[in-house]
Amino acid sequence: MAARPALGNSKDSLLLQVWKGRTGYLMLVPTMVLLGVFMYYPAFLGLYRSLFDWAPGLDADFVGLGNFVKLFTKDKVFQQSMGNMLQLSLWYVLSTVFVSLFVAILLHRMISQRLKYLYRFLAILPVIIPGIVLLMLWKFIYDATVGPLNMLLIAFGLEEWTRAWLANPNTALYAVMLRNFPWVDGVAILILLAGLQVIPQEIIESARIDGATNWRILRSVEFPLITGQIKLLTVLTIMWGVQEFTAVFAMTQGGPINKTMVPGMWMFWNAFRINKMGYAAAIGVILFVLTLILTLINMKYITTQEY
Amino acid sequence: MAAATVTSERRFQIHDFWRAFVLAILCGLQLLPLLMAFFISFKTIPQFSRVPFLPTLPLHWENYLSAWEIVRLFLFNTVFVSGLTVVGVLVLGSLAAYSFAILRYPGREFLFYLVLALMMVPATLTLIPSFVLVKNLQLLNTRWSLILPWIASGQVFAIFILRTYLQSLPGELFDAARIDGASEWQGYFMIALPMSKSMLGVAAILNVLGTWNNLIWPALTISHLERQTLTPGLWSYQVENFTRYGFLMAGLLIGSIPLIVLFFFTSRWFVEGLTSGAIKV
Repeated sequence: MAARPALGNSKDSLLLQVWKGRTGYLMLVPTMVLLGVFMYYPAFLGLYRSLFDWAPGLDADFVGLGNFVKLFTKDKVFQQSMGNMLQLSLWYVLSTVFVSLFVAILLHRMISQRLKYLYRFLAILPVIIPGIVLLMLWKFIYDATVGPLNMLLIAFGLEEWTRAWLANPNTALYAVMLRNFPWVDGVAILILLAGLQVIPQEIIESARIDGATNWRILRSVEFPLITGQIKLLTVLTIMWGVQEFTAVFAMTQGGPINKTMVPGMWMFWNAFRINKMGYAAAIGVILFVLTLILTLINMKYITTQEY
Repeated sequence: MAAATVTSERRFQIHDFWRAFVLAILCGLQLLPLLMAFFISFKTIPQFSRVPFLPTLPLHWENYLSAWEIVRLFLFNTVFVSGLTVVGVLVLGSLAAYSFAILRYPGREFLFYLVLALMMVPATLTLIPSFVLVKNLQLLNTRWSLILPWIASGQVFAIFILRTYLQSLPGELFDAARIDGASEWQGYFMIALPMSKSMLGVAAILNVLGTWNNLIWPALTISHLERQTLTPGLWSYQVENFTRYGFLMAGLLIGSIPLIVLFFFTSRWFVEGLTSGAIKV
């Protein structure tokens, strides 16, 4: 924080400083009012309600940590949903990091600026297609009777492989997981590309003078210098994977027989289908704690790279 | 000398060819579902049963006309809701960011941490209580049930990146204006806003993408179909029209157009904002 002539001189009394800074407070009023009503109040209410057996319109019974105990000891669906979430998150991290890294490096090495610009545009294009459109197209691709995936298998003579990918309990989770093949993620690519582009040219030049090949430069110079971006992507993707249930909501609603259930979907189900609001709030709290832990790891271990 | 440059350039061109080839396959596969949707969108049901995935003649434009009749309502609602939200986010976010970054007053850091802490609060924690709150405020089935919570949650990220950006500007700019007798409001309107145009653009695009793609919240709070936004609208549209393939694909594609148009005009901001390293931890 640079030392600037302060508006409120530090020699003034606190009251005078507050008065001199009144415009600053005034500018925060709308922000703080909205945050208080629509963020802080619901957040604390969620924490509070997770301790109750509660449905709207009925009396709330205080059950302490009962909801959490029940979730972790009795609720088989919840435990399954945590396992599914873990598998999905791991896959999202692997696919995002590897595919994006591959594409970012190809783009970064591109000599022709016009081609680079063109492919950067093509890579970002899916980001601006509404997510629901892609989900619905993939639901169609997986369709048992008219889906292109089954049509393709038939065309290759693999008729016995065809199935209702999203309705079959053995394949549903993987079908959700592997949607959006080949997993080119424009935003992740841009983040990695940004990391590659800010590496000072002199470092690359001097490595090249020392006789380093492209591959060696990648392994010994560029990778170490973009670990910050890779870690950032990893943490962001896991945090997203913990929360995310839009894909499951749109494609399967958690079915068949809870094979694609994730905690967010199970929370939604409990809250709005069977009115167990307190129980659902407890799932929300668990997801919050998971996010908090990930954020703390993020802040402790991930620092921006210096040259 | 010149000859050497030419040969080395040619060598790089060949490498570029392979890079372009691999990227073309990857991007092509990624965009293939959209191409499929485009082909199917012109088909009648008999045409689809004969040749499902390749183009067939004649093209049936009327799929687009009848899909437009349904989708235009969702589109209008979304443009209205996302538009008001992004305006609110930019106004409140830039005011707060300016206050946090430039002005001096007691408790400033504490107030900023109050905002920053909300970055760790996931939407899943607040989903249920927010719904009960909106219900108690009698906002269910109104557009305010979307706009107010979305401004509240969207401004957090906007404040964060705008504050970082304003702090990176030379402080002398604001000091000089102050010495010349400018008020804090003039500093905001005449220095901070014009200088942070590109960052405002990035914040705006990310915010619009977020609200545009939100499925769960509007599906929960809006049950009148004529007030529904695009994402949940297309979802229920798909459920109802799954076997009218051409009509379905036409509707999905119409729903994609506005963001593509928006991106067409703002892609430079978006790409530069994300690659300039302005967004970091």
